[in-house]
Amino acid sequence: MSQAPKKARHTGPAPLHGLLAEYDSPDALIRGAEKVRNAGFRDWDTFTPFPVHGIDGAMGIRPTILPWIILCGGLGGCTLALGFQWWANGVDYPFLISGKPFWSVPANIPITFELTVLFSALTAVFGMFALNKLPQPAHPLDLKERFARSTDDRFFVLVQASDPVFDERDTRTLLETSGATAVEDVPEDVKSESEMPRGILYVLLILAAASTIPFALAAYARESKTTTTRFDIVPDMDFQQKFKGQRMNTFFADKRADRLQIEGTVAVGELHDDDHLYAGKLNGVFARTFPPSIHIDQATMDRGRERFGIYCTPCHGQVGEGDGMVHQRALSLAEGTWVPPSNITDERLRVMPVGEIFNTITHGVRNMPAYGHQIPAEDRWAIILYVRALQKSRAAELKDLSEQERESLIRGG
Amino acid sequence: MAHGKEVHLDDNIQIGDEASDLGKKALGIGVVALVLGVVVGGGPLGRQFTASYLVAFLYVLALGLGLLWFVTIQHLTNAKWSVVVRRVAEILAANMPVLALLALPVIIPIVIGQSEIYEWSDPSKVAQSPALEHKAGYLNVTFFLIRVVVYFGFWGLLSRYFLKQSIDQDTSGKPEVNKSLQAVSAPSMILFGLTLTFCAFDLIMSVDPDFFSTIFGVYYFGGAVASGYSLLALSLMWLQGKGRLTHSVNREHYHDLGKMMFAFGVVFWSYIAFSQFMLIWYGDVPEETHWFHDRFNGDWKIVSGALLLCHFVIPFFGLLSRHVKRNRKTLAFWAFWLLVIEYVDLYWLVMPSLSKDEIPLHIADLLCWVGVVGVFVGAAAMRAKGKNLVPTKDPRLADSLAFLNP
Amino acid sequence: MAAADYEAWYQPPKGDNDIAKLTDVVLRVAEAKRPPIGWYIAFTIAVGMLGILGISIAWLFWTGIGVWGNMHPVVCAWDLTNIVFWVGIGHAGTLISAILFLLRQPWRTAINRAAEAMTIFAVMCALIFPGIHIGRPWLPYWMLPIPNQMNMWPQFRSPLDWDVFAVGTYFTVSLLFWYVGLIPDLASLRDRATTTIRRFVYGMFSMGWRGSSRQWHRYERAYLILAALSTPLVLSVHSVVSFDFATSQLPGWHTTIFPPYFVAGAIFSGFAMVVTLLVPARQFFGLKDVIQMQHLEAMNKVILATGTMVGYAYGMEFFIAWYSGSSYEGFAFINRAFGPYAWAYWTMVSCNVIFPQLFWFKAIRTSLVAMMIIDILVNVGMWFERFVIIVTSLHRDFVPSSWGYYIPTKWDFLTLTGSFGLFFTLFLLFCRYLPTVAVAEVKAQHAHSHGGH
Repeated sequence: MSQAPKKARHTGPAPLHGLLAEYDSPDALIRGAEKVRNAGFRDWDTFTPFPVHGIDGAMGIRPTILPWIILCGGLGGCTLALGFQWWANGVDYPFLISGKPFWSVPANIPITFELTVLFSALTAVFGMFALNKLPQPAHPLDLKERFARSTDDRFFVLVQASDPVFDERDTRTLLETSGATAVEDVPEDVKSESEMPRGILYVLLILAAASTIPFALAAYARESKTTTTRFDIVPDMDFQQKFKGQRMNTFFADKRADRLQIEGTVAVGELHDDDHLYAGKLNGVFARTFPPSIHIDQATMDRGRERFGIYCTPCHGQVGEGDGMVHQRALSLAEGTWVPPSNITDERLRVMPVGEIFNTITHGVRNMPAYGHQIPAEDRWAIILYVRALQKSRAAELKDLSEQERESLIRGG
Repeated sequence: MAHGKEVHLDDNIQIGDEASDLGKKALGIGVVALVLGVVVGGGPLGRQFTASYLVAFLYVLALGLGLLWFVTIQHLTNAKWSVVVRRVAEILAANMPVLALLALPVIIPIVIGQSEIYEWSDPSKVAQSPALEHKAGYLNVTFFLIRVVVYFGFWGLLSRYFLKQSIDQDTSGKPEVNKSLQAVSAPSMILFGLTLTFCAFDLIMSVDPDFFSTIFGVYYFGGAVASGYSLLALSLMWLQGKGRLTHSVNREHYHDLGKMMFAFGVVFWSYIAFSQFMLIWYGDVPEETHWFHDRFNGDWKIVSGALLLCHFVIPFFGLLSRHVKRNRKTLAFWAFWLLVIEYVDLYWLVMPSLSKDEIPLHIADLLCWVGVVGVFVGAAAMRAKGKNLVPTKDPRLADSLAFLNP
Repeated sequence: MAAADYEAWYQPPKGDNDIAKLTDVVLRVAEAKRPPIGWYIAFTIAVGMLGILGISIAWLFWTGIGVWGNMHPVVCAWDLTNIVFWVGIGHAGTLISAILFLLRQPWRTAINRAAEAMTIFAVMCALIFPGIHIGRPWLPYWMLPIPNQMNMWPQFRSPLDWDVFAVGTYFTVSLLFWYVGLIPDLASLRDRATTTIRRFVYGMFSMGWRGSSRQWHRYERAYLILAALSTPLVLSVHSVVSFDFATSQLPGWHTTIFPPYFVAGAIFSGFAMVVTLLVPARQFFGLKDVIQMQHLEAMNKVILATGTMVGYAYGMEFFIAWYSGSSYEGFAFINRAFGPYAWAYWTMVSCNVIFPQLFWFKAIRTSLVAMMIIDILVNVGMWFERFVIIVTSLHRDFVPSSWGYYIPTKWDFLTLTGSFGLFFTLFLLFCRYLPTVAVAEVKAQHAHSHGGH
């Protein structure tokens, strides 16, 4: 449908834009439309509050090329996505991640799909707007009061005077006999501006220009160097109120931030003045008994077995013989510097005081790291209880067994 | 919804001798092909025969299940457009008991412990494999047998029930039949999902017992539905070629069938296939990736590439346009295409686990396929004889006849 | 059952609206000088909650992620749960709009506008969390392919970056789809406007639409194609979100069924939210004749169906966790059901699988009170589903010495509450100023079925 022609300042009655016919039902509209189409008109249109079924056929509207445009848009998005991912992650700054190839097509599919859909949708919407010539701020029909019901419950036909077949009287008769409830003249809109007001135009231009400023700034920042320090948005993240190791602290005479612990200070909750429990020492020597607060019962034994399984078996193995996974791996690497983990069922450890074992677990020895921070003291004692059980199991004598166990051993069951 | 002018069924809706002729021919060819397949495949327990037959059987199972699903969902959603095509689908879906029979060459070797394909059915192999021992609670012959009875029992009963109720409505004209079928189809859909899934696990996934994938059942489902719709479209075209249903089934119905072929056979299948592949590729966990390695190594690379191209890319663009879906000839082409590619898909699901690196194409593959398809088509054709090809007294029939795509 | 009853079941009454009355009924809410008092009360509460969101975010930015309960090993918890929750809720709108359009279900026209709006607002709520949870919230542009001073590009192989594109596309397309659908209704509002401001604003946003049939033709094609695009889009968005988890190797996360399972779950929770919103909305805005019980019942059926699909996925995960023979996988599921988070797990199962089964009964499907309760429980259950997936798999993975237990802080609660504030504020504004029903579409549907040809 053609736009209203550009206005010139007019005097006298406005020229005729066309004739408007009103109908009160979709069926009536379709019959009217068929009549107009059969009369050979081309510059005409119908207006409905909702898309009417069958109007396309009645008017002879040809299928739009929009779907093809959308297809192109979608393919464009697809190509762009795939190509960009290949170039950015594979060529411009090759990015190795989890051993995946530089151009990982399976991993690129989701974004490719999304951009295909996005570009198709954008093309659909803006392509539709463009083909429909929207936005259309002004139209002569806006001046007809009855036309306001075109978005409510009435249906209209407009035949434009610019059509070669148009004749004011004949066309009017045609419309009046087509089932219309009313037929009216539609004058050209000579009063409204058909161009956008200058003011709005200027504002839009200024906004468009202004919107490029952030990008310009970013581009400038990319290429320029500066001697000023970075701008800190959240200063307490970049400048944290604490002293780090190896830094200066002028408060102290030696200006070091690293300080030794002051003699006698203890962290809250770390007093651990029970040497037996927390250091395995009784009167300064390694204890040979368990601390009284550790109950020697099945629960402690189970706990000890569980904790042993978590912390000790990687090196010492499931029964403590020193053949854990770490040891196997070290052997297979065959580096020659490996000191095997102790066999804790060995004679040497069997006679070792429990306090000394406790000390070893806490502070580590040779290659074994310190576990004192990871394992609470009670759990360490539980582990030692289990270790004793393991040791006993490797060095048991017949007299250690109960009556029933002896019987079953003899029986071979 | 049709108002104003009443739409009447003025078609030839019965097929007599032409159906039984086709039926007899198809059954004959089918049985002969199967016998030949047994012979060239090394006997009924031979490795070649069992493998070829398995793929062929999975193929017709997919057809049957896809069509059974179609019937169920149409009842569940109270669909109007499909009424005029539903009877043909019911007749085809009612092949489920026949499929139970066709399942025997797959099941019997397992039960007698002589399966060349399913390692878990062989106790000596299970004893050697910790993985199989772990799964023995599920993958054992007794439980398998019980499950199989449940699957085919349920499918057989359901498909026959739908057909019978629908045919009865032709004479009784009772509209409440639709409501009761809708009520039945709801729980049936749940059972359908579960039985299809576990059947896919049992028959396909367990061929490589180390492999596991939670989406596997859904994968088989996608292919099955697409095949079902394709076969339905082709069946309707055959009937129309014989002068039946010429006015009732029109391009609107074909358009909808085409949309479903596109939606399930191309879009949904690709989505599921991609999900399964990409997640396993990305996680790179050897327990899962070996299955794909088998399918990308050696000659199998070509088949995998062909699947990507021919199950997704080409039919995507091919079936996109509404004009293609509304034209009988082009729709038939794509229906055949999807039916062929479904076979390739099933072959690709099973064979690489049995033959690494090499594609073991053998004449037995073709013979078995012809065999089971012949039996399937033959049984359906025999069943179609003398039945109304349209549910004449379904209250929604008028809507279906007048149905228009926007 | 008599033939007349059958008629009623199969073709329920459409209500007594003629076209003009429809326009009046729907648009009068938007055109009213004053909304009902209920709107003011609800709006005050919503804005209050929105304020809580603002404070929570400001405090978060000022202090850091430490104000939340995130710690090792549960490094993401409520933030990720909330993202997935909100994106999931958004999916119902697109489904109602696009997929029901493609399936030619006439009952969609009464609810699709409100549902599409809900989608956009839900996605906006979802988009907050990726922005605020990254720790250095001034750097989210690194996720986009914008040239930066390090000459680096985003890691496109990461599911987290896929999320950016997926949710971004989803938001854009949903917004466009909603807006395109609004244009004819905005034109209607423009033509009925009584004040200059309203005429100007509605006029501008309706782009000068006058309902020309030639324009309708292209409009309809664009709308159909947008619907056809939105369908795979909505399936892809929650699939991409599920990839965040499924591409990992974590037991309980690395499962191939995640994509369709998440999509079904999203539709499930989205529909529940739609019903939860529409039951009071139709009451207070007098739309009971337009949004009818048959629509609500249909939605409850969809909730039942998708809830069953979610239950199917739970079953598959459990079975394969055992079948796989992986002790880690098996443990992950035993831990979910019987470990320290069992309370969350069983909340999830009862709300998602057990309670929705009540919708088998028509009496419950059509009871406003019952459906409100069950649908709110569904949303609770779906929030817990994401929580269970994320937290139980993180808190106990491969190495027992790294196990822990996550406890949320009050800021976690307040941020989630605040996000509901944003959602309801936007939704109430929408109810006030825009037509909540797609008037043109309802009219078209009506004409097609009553007049028609």
